[in-house]
Amino acid sequence: MGLFSPIAGFGVTLKQMFRKRVTAQYPKEKRVKPQRFHGRHVLNRYPDGMEKCIGCELCAGICPARCIYVRGKENPKDAPVSPGERYGFVYEINMLRCIFCAMCVEACPTEAITMTHLFEMSVTTRDDAIYTRSELLMSPEGDVPHPQPPSKLIDLDELKVADGWMRATAPAGRAAYEGVRGWTPTAGAGHRPPERGQSGDDGADGEEDA
Amino acid sequence: MPSQPDLVTFTVDGKEAQVPAGTLLIEAVKAAGVHIPHFCYHPRMKPVGMCRMCLVQVEGPRGMMLGTSCTMPVTEGMVVHTDTDTVAKAQEGVLEFLLLNHPLDCPVCDRGGECPLQDQTMAAGPGESRFVEEKRHYPKPIPISDLVLLDRERCILCARCTRFSDEISGDPLIEFKDRGNATQVNTFPDEPFASYFSGNTVQICPVGALTATPYRFRARPWDLEAVESTCPHCSVGCRISVQASRNEALRFLGVDNGPVNQGWLCDKGRFGFEFLNSGDRLDTPLVRDEDGDLVEASWAEALDRAAAGLSAAAAEGPGRLAGLGGARSTNEEAYAFGRFVRETLGSNHLDAQLGDGLDPRVLAGITPRAAIDDLERARTVLVWAPDLKEELPVLYLRVRRAATELGANLVVVHPRATGLDPVATHTLRYRPGAGTEMLRRLADGSGDLAAVRAALDEGPVVAIIGRPGLGDDPRLAEAVMAFAAGLPDAAVLPVTRRSNVYGAADMGLAPTLLPGRVANDAPGRDAAGILEGLASGDLGGLVLLGSDPATDYVEPQQAAAALDAAGFTVAIDLFLTPSAAKADVVLPALGFAETEGTVTNLEGRVQKVNRLLPGPGSARPAHEILEDLARRMGGSIGAASAEALAAEIAGTAPAYAGITWEALSWGAGREGIVAPGPEGSQPLAVAPEDHAPPPAARDLVLHQARVLYDRGTLTQAGPSLAKLAKEPAAYVHPEDATRFGIKAGAAVRLTGSGGSAELPVVLDPSLVAGTVYVPLHLGAALGAGLEISMEAVT
Repeated sequence: MGLFSPIAGFGVTLKQMFRKRVTAQYPKEKRVKPQRFHGRHVLNRYPDGMEKCIGCELCAGICPARCIYVRGKENPKDAPVSPGERYGFVYEINMLRCIFCAMCVEACPTEAITMTHLFEMSVTTRDDAIYTRSELLMSPEGDVPHPQPPSKLIDLDELKVADGWMRATAPAGRAAYEGVRGWTPTAGAGHRPPERGQSGDDGADGEEDA
Repeated sequence: MPSQPDLVTFTVDGKEAQVPAGTLLIEAVKAAGVHIPHFCYHPRMKPVGMCRMCLVQVEGPRGMMLGTSCTMPVTEGMVVHTDTDTVAKAQEGVLEFLLLNHPLDCPVCDRGGECPLQDQTMAAGPGESRFVEEKRHYPKPIPISDLVLLDRERCILCARCTRFSDEISGDPLIEFKDRGNATQVNTFPDEPFASYFSGNTVQICPVGALTATPYRFRARPWDLEAVESTCPHCSVGCRISVQASRNEALRFLGVDNGPVNQGWLCDKGRFGFEFLNSGDRLDTPLVRDEDGDLVEASWAEALDRAAAGLSAAAAEGPGRLAGLGGARSTNEEAYAFGRFVRETLGSNHLDAQLGDGLDPRVLAGITPRAAIDDLERARTVLVWAPDLKEELPVLYLRVRRAATELGANLVVVHPRATGLDPVATHTLRYRPGAGTEMLRRLADGSGDLAAVRAALDEGPVVAIIGRPGLGDDPRLAEAVMAFAAGLPDAAVLPVTRRSNVYGAADMGLAPTLLPGRVANDAPGRDAAGILEGLASGDLGGLVLLGSDPATDYVEPQQAAAALDAAGFTVAIDLFLTPSAAKADVVLPALGFAETEGTVTNLEGRVQKVNRLLPGPGSARPAHEILEDLARRMGGSIGAASAEALAAEIAGTAPAYAGITWEALSWGAGREGIVAPGPEGSQPLAVAPEDHAPPPAARDLVLHQARVLYDRGTLTQAGPSLAKLAKEPAAYVHPEDATRFGIKAGAAVRLTGSGGSAELPVVLDPSLVAGTVYVPLHLGAALGAGLEISMEAVT
């Protein structure tokens, strides 16, 4: 405190001017998102084309924003949609309500719903923001439909990058399983290496599993 | 009354408590406020100790002993521990065992989220299993009946379903088979689990081994909104929980109401929710146009048309209009209907029954009246009534319990074998029309009936009396009641089937009654008289409230003709029934679970029904419709709301004083409140009279009675129950078959008072020779008359 106090404040500004800029010129340049970034959802399939969703509604039950609506139905005997007795007959997410917390991903017992790195989802009507099965479910080839066409902003390849928290630990929750793949690999957006580095030993990212 | 049992004192986890001697430890501990996890134990069934989950430690002379609390009665000075490390370890071990073969497919299981095994594994189970081998596999799920699916992989062999079927419902169609690791629950080969009570096993299954087809994958427990209500299907009035998701009713569960259903439901009640979601529900008013077709109309247009038509008929003179129905409505709607017909239409021609019931004065004011719970104390039960298993299934369970578990004498009098016969002490059969003679012989107690008479002289006696079939004179039932009322310490339960017919009688929906069990000094026409008046032109118009005389009246064709001849008809209904289709104006009403109110069951117990669903389209509560009609006709019936009507009823009807919605919604009132009987302040007290209807001296008589799954509107509106209705058949005594030269399976043509039908023959030796039995409402309408002619069809 003293006579120079008003000027000392400018010192902060002056220091910032010589720092590296963190602002990205978003439309022109896109930053690489962290591995666990929570973008829009996708419904996965098994490599044989079966849907992973069994319509159990755990995602809808856990959702803090109550933005997911699921209804299950009995699998047709001759042409089952998913392995087992039941499949997700209706699947809707209201993206306007979604808070991208990924609790649905965490709750999903079959890794049917995962999040991707794509977040550009602007719409002009509220109805368009409700993603139904046709917008969420990947094709058997592993392509994910997206309501908006690719553009400078929208890189559809980001839909194939899944967020990577899931295999940080094994289903049993034991650190000893770190880096060990606990589930069958998935087509498309399911390709995720088991995450490592939770125990802080090496920090390598388990590339041998890709 | 048995004397109060002695109390014993015991200690649980250091706390002292007192319970009646002989109480099972698990119940005693619960009374002391300690919860013991369990799977196989059910308070309404005998304990077996199958699951071993309820282990506790009891201090004994040789130290602490682990034992199952569900099989151990409390003794004086017992010291029990439920929270020791040993108990926890034992329970953890039991759960690990139970989970060895459990598939853990909780996400696809209908039970997931409300599963005792899931909950108790989370609460008391081990975190991990040491079992790494392949689990047991069975094809899953297998349908064991039209309504129930069995997944044996999930089964933990608790024997709840097998015990229920054996002990409670008396249809032991599901049983354990094989031994050791291969033990499984299953049905007998080629014998489906076709029990009227199969849904209860789904509800009490502690895992998802038994699931119900109508609910399969429809919702998860956390989707469901629930409200407690009273089953709308028959006059027993079982307490249920109505559960819905996204404004669609998805299931009914039984709620344990000790004096009435004790937790059980019949399958018709349990799966009879589907009519609420039917696409055939009326959702907009209909009026008849110039071409004679029913076309959609706005409410204002339809109400104007209805009011104009009724006003025109009313202007022709007093008593030109009539009202039928109200037996499926709430008390509030029934009361509003009574006021509408009496005040606005100015007529006393009002009936809630369709010629198939009993005298409404008997229903409302018989003395001495029995309650269902009197069966717990009865020494002798006399059932001279419809086959309870077919018409009032949960009352059948209560009578069955009295006859088996509680050891009462059971005397069943019926024209043919009934569901109760296997547990009855004495069964008597008679030909319809010869009931008076049977009653006289029974009263005499001479000869072969001496033993029956001796049994009836053992009180307390509960007499369940109704019309066994359509051919039985209602006055015979009254004569039986008069006889039964004279038995030692006797009480009479008059039974008819339609759900709120007792409430309708209490609300004055009868030609001889005014609201509140008051006799009407200027009685109007009953259903038969109304239909006759419509046909002859003595009556100018009719208002139907949830009533379908063209199907349900004892002579359907006669009723249909009367409706065709009727001047002006307004139908307020949920469906476009054959009768509503003949009306000039059809107004869509809200039904069960869509309106709030009270209903009265066959013992006079008033219970609350609650609202959960919005109902289809622009359908409205019946009392609102009636109020709007009344206002258009220049009056009001004071039906501002159902609650206002309830308050008015409590003020008008002495028996209903104090029975408010508030009292019925909380605490003990949720069990329902029995409207005080004639010994209270009630004006009408009917002592049954000993009528002697004329005997029938015919060669061949017809017995017609209802079956549980028929072609009724509500049953057919749901896909699950609709397919359970059987094809109609003629049940013929073998002697008669020989006499007429017909074989089982051959077709016969039956011609009765109201129609004829060609039916396949089933031989039924349980009939008295000279009787033909035809189930009602399965498609063969023969009329109500006793007389029948039969000829073989070649």
